[in-house]
Amino acid sequence: MGLVQREIEAAGLSTISLSMMPELTASAGAPRIAAIEHPFGMTLGRPGDSTGQREVLRATLRAMETMAERGGVIHLPFEWTSTEKLALGAPVPPPIAKYLVRHPWGFSRFLNRTPFPEF
Amino acid sequence: MQPTKKIDSYRFVDGIARKVLKRWATLPGETQIPWTPLARRLSECTVALVSSAAIALKSDPPFDPEIERHDPRFADPSYRVLPRTVRTGDIHVCHLHINPAFAEQDLNSVLPTERLGELAEMGEIGAAAPSNYSYMGYTLRPERLLRESVPAMVQQLREEHVDIVMLIPV
Repeated sequence: MGLVQREIEAAGLSTISLSMMPELTASAGAPRIAAIEHPFGMTLGRPGDSTGQREVLRATLRAMETMAERGGVIHLPFEWTSTEKLALGAPVPPPIAKYLVRHPWGFSRFLNRTPFPEF
Repeated sequence: MQPTKKIDSYRFVDGIARKVLKRWATLPGETQIPWTPLARRLSECTVALVSSAAIALKSDPPFDPEIERHDPRFADPSYRVLPRTVRTGDIHVCHLHINPAFAEQDLNSVLPTERLGELAEMGEIGAAAPSNYSYMGYTLRPERLLRESVPAMVQQLREEHVDIVMLIPV
């Protein structure tokens, strides 16, 4: 997401990402990040929680007015308090997971993001 | 607002994925960060949304998951335009790394088009842009996405006089 954001910002538009993994988004050189501690697949909030979704959207957009430094990160104060067990993962393991099970020797290249010429 | 909250980037990840993502965050990254200052007040800005959830209108060609299944380095590099009037029943989600059920139950959980419309009506933003965008997130090889899809999105964002682009990973 950070790479796409950088291209759009470089083209002359002001951008902000709402990231659940701000450390990773920041390492990609994203111009502005609003960090949120929400589960995957529910970046803005739970299905049907229009109030919560609106608050997160509002807080992210308002952050645009205060962020004056490139690479800035604002940690949004929303708490995910539910302890309910949610099925957050993909219904079927993603292709890369299956690949690494079959090719365990590829794991260190994957971990270090070195290219995979052997695919 | 409590400014003291510090987000845990890894709260909802465990096992190998946690190890990999923590490692990736420490790898040497980009040092030059592009910057476009906000040109006007938020209440005057036109806002567009970009989602990496691979959301496509049911009336458009779907994203192709077979590209990634065939070679997990790659993903379908195309993108889709989603009008600001899009609603949950109009779309499919084709992301292979998340549970798409939440987005398919309520699109606003990942692409808050209805919420953006409400902020526009309340005068908190100038306008919701006519178009929002989605592409297939998670790819180790984003070259074609960056070379072909992003410039096309940028052109339409400019044509629609967008001031703020909010990017929403899933």
